[in-house]
Amino acid sequence: MEPVITGTDPIAEPMAQAGTAPGGVKTVSKSPTRIALARLRKDRVAMICLGIFVAFLLIAIFAPLLAKLEGQDYTTRNFDLIDDFGYPTVGPSSTHWFGVEPRIGRDLFARWAYGARPSLLVAIITTLITTFVGVVAGLVSGFLGGWVDRVISWVIDFVLSLPYLLFAIAFPAVILSIIYGNEEGATPEQVGRVRFISLISVLSIFGWAGLARLIRGQVLSLREREFIAAAKVLGVPTRRVLFKELLPNIIAPIVVSASLALPGYIVAEAGLTFLGVGLLEPTPSWGVTIAAAQNFYRADPLYLWLPVLGITILVLALSLLGDAIRDAFDPRTRR
Amino acid sequence: MVLYILRRIASAISVIVVTLIASFGLFYLAPSDPAGVICGAKCPPARYQEIADSLHLDRPVYQQIWEYLHGLVLGTDVVSGGQTVHCAAPCLGYSYVFGVPVTTLIMHALPVTISIVFGSAIAYLCIGTLSGIFAARRRGTYLDRTIVGGTLTIGSVPYFVVALLAALYIPTLIPIVPQAKWVPLTESPLKWFLGLLLPWIVLGIVNSASYTRYSRASMIESLSEDYVRTARAKGISERRVVYRHGLRAAVTPLATIFGLDVAFALTGAIFTEQIFGLPGLGVVTLRAFDKYDLPVLMAGVLIGAVVLVIMNLLVDILYTILDPRVRLS
Repeated sequence: MEPVITGTDPIAEPMAQAGTAPGGVKTVSKSPTRIALARLRKDRVAMICLGIFVAFLLIAIFAPLLAKLEGQDYTTRNFDLIDDFGYPTVGPSSTHWFGVEPRIGRDLFARWAYGARPSLLVAIITTLITTFVGVVAGLVSGFLGGWVDRVISWVIDFVLSLPYLLFAIAFPAVILSIIYGNEEGATPEQVGRVRFISLISVLSIFGWAGLARLIRGQVLSLREREFIAAAKVLGVPTRRVLFKELLPNIIAPIVVSASLALPGYIVAEAGLTFLGVGLLEPTPSWGVTIAAAQNFYRADPLYLWLPVLGITILVLALSLLGDAIRDAFDPRTRR
Repeated sequence: MVLYILRRIASAISVIVVTLIASFGLFYLAPSDPAGVICGAKCPPARYQEIADSLHLDRPVYQQIWEYLHGLVLGTDVVSGGQTVHCAAPCLGYSYVFGVPVTTLIMHALPVTISIVFGSAIAYLCIGTLSGIFAARRRGTYLDRTIVGGTLTIGSVPYFVVALLAALYIPTLIPIVPQAKWVPLTESPLKWFLGLLLPWIVLGIVNSASYTRYSRASMIESLSEDYVRTARAKGISERRVVYRHGLRAAVTPLATIFGLDVAFALTGAIFTEQIFGLPGLGVVTLRAFDKYDLPVLMAGVLIGAVVLVIMNLLVDILYTILDPRVRLS
């Protein structure tokens, strides 16, 4: 494997770029990450999926702008568009692009566009936290060995053997009671904020362990290699060995696991919200809408199918992208 | 071998003990107000005090944990609704909301969850293995690619979305499929089977994704062995070659991954229960969450953890029996 040279030595990078200078002969020292990226760029499915992901990101970021463009917002209730039985009297139109909600008549397009926000926000924050914690725990545990390794390994095993969903159900109730006494004592905004934080906490607490175990295994096999031994003999401080010598060599599994984790957290957020233990009603979220819309699936199919399609397409695109990234990094397919 | 199993059992016990202490800490040390929850919004102070006393909220922490453990092992006396009741040996406390022992609630819910988990395991075993064999025999054809692509797609769509759409649309589109409903096995085995058929199939199809891929790969490997070529050369029928010679060798690696993902199965069961309206452990826990019923919530977490740890332990032991290499490492 080439990574011994590339990425680990700060001088190697500029040299690799200098090698492709005009008139010069192309050198072979391309970092594996760059090879993988080049391969990914040629993968048409991956690029389409990336496009879909970026589109959803833009929808989430510019949700207020989109809603303004339509001339609606996600909180206004239009009781005049609802008949006596609670069903909307208008379908999709130029004023309400996707129609309105049954019962209280909020605009569906605005709620759908805003609904992309919590999914992506929770998933991205959680992926960042779990990747960071997992990598650091795996590096430290694998490299230091001894009792540190034993403690961290036990914690990893412990976390992986807990029923995460049951904890996810129990956790928000406990957090809320710790911060605000019991549920009646808190305002809806406070409850909403606590739910948001507890959702990210639960997903993070249970998410880092798998990656940490993976990284630990990689480090265990890498730390016996000559370049690590050389660094140690040269008297390079441990922190530098960990982050300058070891880390560049395990970029591939980190990127792959993060890209496969992202859709997982989107599903987890929507699923928990659907069960009623994630985000709550005033927050526009696809999970909330799906839970409410299941009672109107026959009368108002659009109400149910918009968030269902939103989450399915987003998750499918991200999963395929993750698979493509894994294939791009997999040394067995390397040319 | 024995040493390995003993070590695994010790670590399983340590996980359960830490879970017990951690969840106790989480639920009982939180400055929550269980007495207020039981008593309701307009609570006379005298009644409030009575309830707070009966819950022993004034006692030190270690004493509360001790009492909980004591109840768990030997049983204890609990004050519920103004009168003292004896709570028999595995005592998990009394539900704040329903005023019955938590063990009773759990005992009613567990058969539902167990039925779902095991039934769906059989379903995905069958679906996964059969479609894996089917794809492996037609390797590289259009059908093979469709099956592999299809399982990949279904496996990536959020499970609760698939289950919800199936629960809403299948009974109306295909009226032959019976409505999902819980009937205890002891009451009527046929109704039990029919009521759970739809959830089993839906959970089975979604879970079978990874299984199809494994069995396909495993089958392709065993079908390219020399003895399969020999069997074909001898003129044995294709059917016999595939099922006798190919499948038998392919099934050992399959047995080791079977049941590895108990946590996933449990998660799937909770969504299945909620969506199809089956009164299992997940639904009981969700209801306890709504009502802030701490003893039930804690018992749900505890039992889930114990089941998971025991299942993982069994899988590990099975694994060592099937694959001797594990023992040596």
